[in-house]
Amino acid sequence: MPEKTTIGGAGLIGIAVLAAIIIVAPYFVTFSQRELMVLLAINVLVVASYRLQTLTGEWSLAHLVMMGAGAYGSALYAKSFGAPVPVAMIGGAITAGVVAAVLSFPLFRMKGFYFLIGSFAAGEILRLIWKRFTDPFGGPKGIQRIPGFPDINIGPLHIDFFNPINYYYLVLLVVLVSLWILYRIERSRIGLTFHAIHWQDKLSESVGVDAFRYRMLAFVIASFFAGLAGALYAHNLSTVNPNQFDVNAMVYVLIWTIVGGTSRWYGPILGVVTLTIIDEVILRGIGADQIRPALYGLILILAILFLPDGLESLVIKAKDALRGRSSSKTSVPAEALDGSRD
Amino acid sequence: MKSEPNFSLTRRSLLTGAASAALLPIVGMPKAAFAEGDVIKIGFLAPLTGPVAAWGKPGLDGCQIWADWTNEAGGVEIGGKPYKIELVSYDDEDDAGKARTGATQLIRENEVKFIMMLGGNSWPGVEEIAARQGMMVSTLLPSDLTPDTTTLIAPCEVHPIYNVTGVEWLAANRPELKTAVICAQDDALGKPSVATYLAAFEAAGIKMASEPLFFDPATTDFAPVMTQLLANNPDILCLDTCYADYVQPLCEQAFQQGYKGQIISCTLDFYQRIVDRTSKEFMEGVIFQFPDFDDKALNDPRINFKKPNEYYAEYVKRYGATQWSAVSWEYASILDLWADAANRAGSAEPEDTLKAMKEGGKGKHAFGDARWWGKELFGIDNALVGDWPVVVIRDGKATIAEFRSIPDWWDKNGELLVKHMTALGQMWNQRT
Repeated sequence: MPEKTTIGGAGLIGIAVLAAIIIVAPYFVTFSQRELMVLLAINVLVVASYRLQTLTGEWSLAHLVMMGAGAYGSALYAKSFGAPVPVAMIGGAITAGVVAAVLSFPLFRMKGFYFLIGSFAAGEILRLIWKRFTDPFGGPKGIQRIPGFPDINIGPLHIDFFNPINYYYLVLLVVLVSLWILYRIERSRIGLTFHAIHWQDKLSESVGVDAFRYRMLAFVIASFFAGLAGALYAHNLSTVNPNQFDVNAMVYVLIWTIVGGTSRWYGPILGVVTLTIIDEVILRGIGADQIRPALYGLILILAILFLPDGLESLVIKAKDALRGRSSSKTSVPAEALDGSRD
Repeated sequence: MKSEPNFSLTRRSLLTGAASAALLPIVGMPKAAFAEGDVIKIGFLAPLTGPVAAWGKPGLDGCQIWADWTNEAGGVEIGGKPYKIELVSYDDEDDAGKARTGATQLIRENEVKFIMMLGGNSWPGVEEIAARQGMMVSTLLPSDLTPDTTTLIAPCEVHPIYNVTGVEWLAANRPELKTAVICAQDDALGKPSVATYLAAFEAAGIKMASEPLFFDPATTDFAPVMTQLLANNPDILCLDTCYADYVQPLCEQAFQQGYKGQIISCTLDFYQRIVDRTSKEFMEGVIFQFPDFDDKALNDPRINFKKPNEYYAEYVKRYGATQWSAVSWEYASILDLWADAANRAGSAEPEDTLKAMKEGGKGKHAFGDARWWGKELFGIDNALVGDWPVVVIRDGKATIAEFRSIPDWWDKNGELLVKHMTALGQMWNQRT
């Protein structure tokens, strides 16, 4: 059954409630959880952009390295060339997109498992470049003391972006706009073509679709937004180093995406939000700091065993249940009518 | 008629209960208060899980012993009043982002008076918060120090400068060894250590048989690394400051490839396992820098670490001998310094304690009286240096061979160290 494309009244109420929660949430959590919310919002953009990449059926292991390209790019533009941070951030995102475009030529000669391995190799090459070339990338220690997002001082209005609440709202704005763009792309003809290439690439090519070009497009767009997330990350932490974007960190992106599910746009977002809350808030909160990896692993196994279609399947089931209830309510008079005929 | 209340356990109520129990610590629950006395909280922000946990977790275990002993003895006296010590830990996973969250929690929620860190990858995430809040933070990696890090101190381990003592001792005791090779993981820990060993070898007249071999930290197969190192038939195999996960396979590879020469390493964590997997004969004479604290040499009056032998016995009793590592005593020795400074300052406030700690430019380092130093190398005199032990494996057991002076070596060979640090881009003003 095709996914419903219009949002009903319940959906609008749900969105309004969700919006209210994410807007007021920083005022109801602890100081450290505010820091966590900033990182979580950035990770939402990482997984959402990764999903766009997966629409064409190709799973990349270089997505976090693309985030790194954006982080390094933005850090260098701001620190070495003195570019204003907002401009540097856009520059970082564009850099990630350009790097992805260049890498597309060798990578999209491969498909499936070979692409996965190829993307891993390409990512490692990029990370090695950051490590080897101390000038300008800082070597293994990376780049430090990256300028933060500039304060805003307009009359009595003073916004210090070192304050996690302020930076959270900045990130939230960027992420929401990005999610809207990603959503519109998926809903457009381009997005449909991505799906077509995923499921029937030969058939698509037979009707004139240039599969290489569309795979490259998905890779570039996904990398652009991953790069934007990287730029937000770099100017928040004031540091980037190659280890932050290694394959271990990439495994987390895969886990968030798989546990969340990829058939709906919100699947990976559900994954990253749920698993981050479990790992960083609940498990730390109950004092299980040192056994978190084991508990986290157990939760993942349980999720895969009992929710093979991801957390998004729960939402789909809940929506179906609601629809079923409302349709059964509306169908009662008809049944009654049928009964009266008897 | 009133119906009987139904108390049957449904799946929903079970799930609700479980979720509530899980969420209770987040939404808050009454905390058990100390029965009496005032409490000072000390933060421990280091990797407790992940590949670098070996340099965090054993340190936290050691600190727990220190806190228990201190509290049993009536606490730390500050301003004429005894205070109990409470440790608050946060696993930063060696990640700057998590370290920033952890530092925020420790400073603003737990209200700690001092934070101990491993440093390195995690420090940049904490730097600005520490500066803004005026929080005193300690690191085991003085390469984090810069002229701007005024509240950051390296009061215990001046890594990697103490490695010079091992090479100096080796040159004095085995002058027939003339060539060396060195390998390290290509990261912020490996490079400054390589620069230090190169300077120490040059000062000792030992030639490098090949260029330093930097391997990727993701390396899992060390056979080709060792083959390449041994190709030039060196007298000395130097394992630099490799992580525990690398030192063990490197030693095993050297053993399997028939190496018979001298091994020198910064650390040899969990060395009993390496002895078990190679042989006592193979490991005989291996030099490193971190003693077991049951060593009788630590009972020397100049040693400032309190009751080292008893401390080791307690550590082994609680956690097992195989859990003892390079950092098992280090964070605890930093707590000794902190307690002494807070006592002298009559205040636990970070600014007062730091001032008292650095008073007169001298301090009581675990291995003897030492001086605050580092301007030439780190741009700030916030590293406490003095004597450091040279440890040798004898009959399968780590034994202190001698204490040697780091400042004495520096006074004679400082230029060499600056030269090699500069060549590898490790001087504070070269760090990006």
